[in-house]
Amino acid sequence: MTIHDQLLAAVGGERRLEAADRLCRACVTLLEVDAAAISLVFDGANAATLGSSGSPARIYDELQFTLGEGPCLDSVALRAPVLVLDLADPYDTRWPAYGPAMLAHEIRGVYATPVLVAGEYVGALDLFCAEPGPLRTEQLAGAVAAAELAAIPVLDLMNADLQAAVSDPSSNAWAELNTLSRVEVSQATGMVMAQLGIDAAEALVRLRAHAYSTDRSAIDVARDILDRRLRLEDD
Amino acid sequence: MTDTARESRVLDAVVTLVDSLLDDFDVVDLLTELTERCAGLLDVAAAGLLLADPFEKLHLLAATSEKARDLELFQLQADEGPCVECYTSGRPVSVADLAAAASRWPRFVPSAVEAGFASVHAVPMRAAGSVLGALGLFGTHSGELNDADLLVGQSLAHIACVAILQEHAPIASAVVPRLRTALVARLVVEQAKGFVRERLDVSVEDAFALLRRYARSHDDHLTDVSRRLITEPDCRPAILAAMATMKAAPPA
Repeated sequence: MTIHDQLLAAVGGERRLEAADRLCRACVTLLEVDAAAISLVFDGANAATLGSSGSPARIYDELQFTLGEGPCLDSVALRAPVLVLDLADPYDTRWPAYGPAMLAHEIRGVYATPVLVAGEYVGALDLFCAEPGPLRTEQLAGAVAAAELAAIPVLDLMNADLQAAVSDPSSNAWAELNTLSRVEVSQATGMVMAQLGIDAAEALVRLRAHAYSTDRSAIDVARDILDRRLRLEDD
Repeated sequence: MTDTARESRVLDAVVTLVDSLLDDFDVVDLLTELTERCAGLLDVAAAGLLLADPFEKLHLLAATSEKARDLELFQLQADEGPCVECYTSGRPVSVADLAAAASRWPRFVPSAVEAGFASVHAVPMRAAGSVLGALGLFGTHSGELNDADLLVGQSLAHIACVAILQEHAPIASAVVPRLRTALVARLVVEQAKGFVRERLDVSVEDAFALLRRYARSHDDHLTDVSRRLITEPDCRPAILAAMATMKAAPPA
């Protein structure tokens, strides 16, 4: 079973915040790290913990927002993974407040992988390790897979109207991830942005919500938008 | 084409692409040009580059054609067809007579035949001991790729790998985040096409052409222009105004 499938199996049929928590707990078990959290960043600073493997992870995550610096914020700002092998390294001075705070919690390795929705960097999956050192290739691949999967709880969170669809056991939103990255869906997302004056993530959420409510696939809805057979209404 | 004329054209393509690699380049733009060069050199009608995501699922990264029907065909290859086989096996796959392969790929073959293609070939993109994706080549007449063609395809696929991995040494751990970055770049370019289509009332193909022309004439990256258009509303009026002027004056 690939790491992606193992993570999905660990999440089970859960959605929204419970899915985010389970994803984090699965990271701890499957990737052999000490704690994991998924945090969201809005406007570079305001943030929220979407999910965590437990209360220590939640504390580590919240610390970076209290202190205004840390792996998740950097990962979103740099649009890249941020891998800090040892916070105790005296030459690594990137986080003068967050570094010592984490060392006080006996965490030395911190690894953040960006979480994306519609091409926007909306947050990061953070892994925390008591032991310093680089992540192994399988751990890194697992972190990327978990960060990809985290997009679904984020999307769920962004649209409260999806509650009904989400509680429908036959809907497989996880399988949706691949269709959401299709060329037509991205192109239609751009058109909806221009039509309604909204950002990419919101446009994708609207497109997806329309697909849900009309019981069609995101790709079909995207094609109709591209061919101007459908125009999502302003609300 | 005589052997010498073709040799010169292959070298010209390689030199141009490698030149871009040594310069500051945009991955989507460069790979689109690479597929165009490929189609020209290998006497195929269309070419597309598919890249694997962390789940080992193929996604379209660049293609010679932006026509909806062709795009569909390229994307269908993510599920079944020569590119998937090529990616899974790590070996080139050559189908000289597509119509005879209908039972092998029941969904892919009818679509490809209907789109006017008669042969399909796929060449793997390999780096760091793994297969990153595949280069798919579509011909309108049947026939094998000969050894020389295969070598050209392989060389261009190698250049594509270098472009995607950029300056990073191809150690396995650097590969996965790079692939992800390249796929996100493509996604943002697609959004920008849709945005331009809506605002300037042009087709998706023309929107892409305008984005590429704008990036080139402003010595900017296609991905960066696309990202600004999508994420920075303040930048939109100037970019759209310049594109509207370009639209009125087609390239010579």
